[in-house]
Amino acid sequence: MSSSVKFEQIDRFKEDLDKCTKCGFCMSSCPVYQEEKVESSVARGKIMLVRALLDGELTLTDEMAKQLNKCTLCMTCVENCPASTQLHTVVTAARADKVKNKGLPFPYNFIFRWLLPRRRLFGWTVKIASWFQGIFMPKTEGTIRHLSMFLSALGKGRHIPQIAPKFLRQSIPEVNKPPEDVKTTYTVGYFTGCMTDFVFPELGKKIVKFLTRNGVEVIVPRRQGCCGAPVFLGAGDFDTGRKMADSNVRAFKNVDYIITDCATCASAMKDYVKYLADTPERTREYTEYAAKIKDITEFLVDILKLPPSAYKVAGEFRGKKVTWHEPCHLGRYLGVKEQPRKILKSLPDIEYIEMPDADRCCGMAGTFSINFYDLSRKIAEKKTDSINVTGADIVVTDCPGCQIQLIDGITRKGMPQKVLHIMDLFE
Amino acid sequence: MITQKHIDQLRRIIGGENVLTTVEELLSYSYDATNMWSHMPDVVVFPTNTEHIAGILQFASENEIPVTPRGGGTNVSGGSIPIKGGIVLCTTRMNRIIDISKNNLNATVEPGVVLQDFQTVLAEEGLFFPPDPQSFAGCTMGGVVAENSGGPSCLKYGVTKQYVLGLEVVLADGRVVKLGGLTPKNRTGYELMMLFTGSEGTLGVISKITLRLLPKPKTNQTIVAVFSDVAEAGETVSDIIAAAVLPSKVEFVDNWTFEKFRGLLPDKILDDSQVILLIQVDGLPETVSAETGEILAICKDNARMVRVAEDPAEAEKYWEARSAHFSDISSRTHTIVNEDVSVPRDRIADFIRTSQEIAKKYDVPISFAGHVGDGNFHPVVLSDSRDKEHFGRALKCVDEIIETALSLGGVLSGEHGIGLEKQRFLKKAMDPAAIDIMKQIKNLLDPKHILNPGKIWEESPHE
Repeated sequence: MSSSVKFEQIDRFKEDLDKCTKCGFCMSSCPVYQEEKVESSVARGKIMLVRALLDGELTLTDEMAKQLNKCTLCMTCVENCPASTQLHTVVTAARADKVKNKGLPFPYNFIFRWLLPRRRLFGWTVKIASWFQGIFMPKTEGTIRHLSMFLSALGKGRHIPQIAPKFLRQSIPEVNKPPEDVKTTYTVGYFTGCMTDFVFPELGKKIVKFLTRNGVEVIVPRRQGCCGAPVFLGAGDFDTGRKMADSNVRAFKNVDYIITDCATCASAMKDYVKYLADTPERTREYTEYAAKIKDITEFLVDILKLPPSAYKVAGEFRGKKVTWHEPCHLGRYLGVKEQPRKILKSLPDIEYIEMPDADRCCGMAGTFSINFYDLSRKIAEKKTDSINVTGADIVVTDCPGCQIQLIDGITRKGMPQKVLHIMDLFE
Repeated sequence: MITQKHIDQLRRIIGGENVLTTVEELLSYSYDATNMWSHMPDVVVFPTNTEHIAGILQFASENEIPVTPRGGGTNVSGGSIPIKGGIVLCTTRMNRIIDISKNNLNATVEPGVVLQDFQTVLAEEGLFFPPDPQSFAGCTMGGVVAENSGGPSCLKYGVTKQYVLGLEVVLADGRVVKLGGLTPKNRTGYELMMLFTGSEGTLGVISKITLRLLPKPKTNQTIVAVFSDVAEAGETVSDIIAAAVLPSKVEFVDNWTFEKFRGLLPDKILDDSQVILLIQVDGLPETVSAETGEILAICKDNARMVRVAEDPAEAEKYWEARSAHFSDISSRTHTIVNEDVSVPRDRIADFIRTSQEIAKKYDVPISFAGHVGDGNFHPVVLSDSRDKEHFGRALKCVDEIIETALSLGGVLSGEHGIGLEKQRFLKKAMDPAAIDIMKQIKNLLDPKHILNPGKIWEESPHE
């Protein structure tokens, strides 16, 4: 092994690496292993690969990178591990060391290093892509189209929603105050995430309206950017991730809470301190930042403590059967399990049905679904089977990434369900 | 030894998507759940039907290439490690449950079905396959039979061999034989399927399994008893059995694993106790309630605290804590030496006391857990194989513990099998003539010694 190869990040989390006892409990729940039935897909296999890397028995080959990338970071193995091995941490650290030693391949180097950290420019690129989306791709169903040319670098024939003609940031003011007759209780910053900004702006508007109506002043900082999840968690580019973290931290000063409608963004930002803090200053800033982050359902139930009467189901959804998909980043990462269910169960105008294995990974996992689209689709099929069992009219979730995966899976199977964000349900 | 030509041939036999060859993939098949052994295979193959297995074995036999069968690879004997390289034949893609018959109380499965998945499907039908090795979440049915697995429930219900009705086995030369049948009674010739049950993959590859099932017990109850003294816990177990109450499980954990019980049992009790017994009774509600009463009365004589789980959720937490023992202990140190002796029930207290003295003599930490109801113990010595001196003491300690178990009328392995891990003790634990018979059977069924070579007995230099 060349002495120039260093494993700084893996070394930081070596304790997690050492915990694994190879008992194999992880096999029972790993969504990737369930499909492939191959040892290198499961936590135990990945741990052994990383150990072999550290021992110099194996090197950082493309095949090694492929095996380490073949993980949705869903944390199910962590939940089931008797030794509490933090596989997701080991995999993320290994991805970072891969980037440090070998760099990022095209097109990720361009997208992650250059485009994602520049929100306005990224917005323009997405906008241009959306024109092509209309020209080159046949319209499939409603607003769902095949992937645009730009995004086709990232997928294969996936059905995704159309990019919005007007982004959220262009549609709402930076400061949104409650109506004059409503007392302001909190001032929050709304972290909109790329998906809500570019693809689901109507959701963003609804959330702002919902919060202001309930006495919350909502700031939508113009200087916020991507949360960095695809960059530092997906691709292992910690340097760029750090720049993105710093700019988000700067954008959200002087608010009581930072609200997100995307479990992935929320958990990624809470993880800034774990992966990206390289100075005492950053440790302090990232820790303070993380403490303020609340998922929207968590904020409504635990902080605002809204009564059931505050949730008014929009007319078009009244009388419908609704089921809930729990995003991995919400349940296992943020520990937000009961809050959305509490809201849904309290709604007199809908019938709530819990789906089997509601917390099972949908297989999206950002870059994972790009690198391993067929595998991602197979994992999604188990989810769509669960949805089917409920007979629900609507599937709600709390992560636009999951939403896209569910739309893709449901469209593919010709199922009738609408896929919405939980906050879409309300007036 | 294996060439590109061999690999191309294997791809032709079972399809390219079922053959793994990259070094990263091969490394993932170089280990099992033990930590003293590892060896890379040259290729990993995933048959998806019996014909595939037959094709692979015929090819391997003609080319004299070692074949190590493997399922989930959760075994703790070194048994599925390809110690001589060659082919790892992994059955995880043969995972169909072929038939479940409620009327006949039997099921037929492929070897790659995961035990937990099988149990879940059976439970939906009100049926029950009792063996419950603690690797249930990942272990596969082929391995369960080939290792003749046990587990906590075997106290009342017996081990895997009591449930094997029929097997389809592929022999070393690729011939497929059907053994046994579908019925619980079958006195036709020798019990040949018993030869393969517990054979550790050295005599043939199991390609289909027919198992006897039981109706699922209507209800169960979990009782937790905490003791300040190991011997008192041991006596309590003897007292329960002597009172003609047969629990489905009696499990023993020592205070090394108490952390997992924090929050479930009071700290002040855990702080100065030595042993927890987890007892489960099952059956009809009336029986369960009566037996729970009897066990409570017996435990109260010796225990510092006895508690009946209020609901299944509480019971589940205790059993999860018990299941975590092995991983919990293993994660605390670099190397563990995990034994699997079984001693007659009335010698349990003697065994533990003597073993603790031995550990003290060699100055190594030791933890005990196990299926104390049937005398099957897993003493675990915590060590670090990188520290030669410490590791040497650990090995000497387990040598003496095994001697102790044997001298008390016990056996070398209750349920894990011999594999690589316990080879060096085999001569002490088995009649030389019996070892010789095993070798003759091996020569008859696998004359070229291609199947899981290097396992069970130590090879003499000319082998």
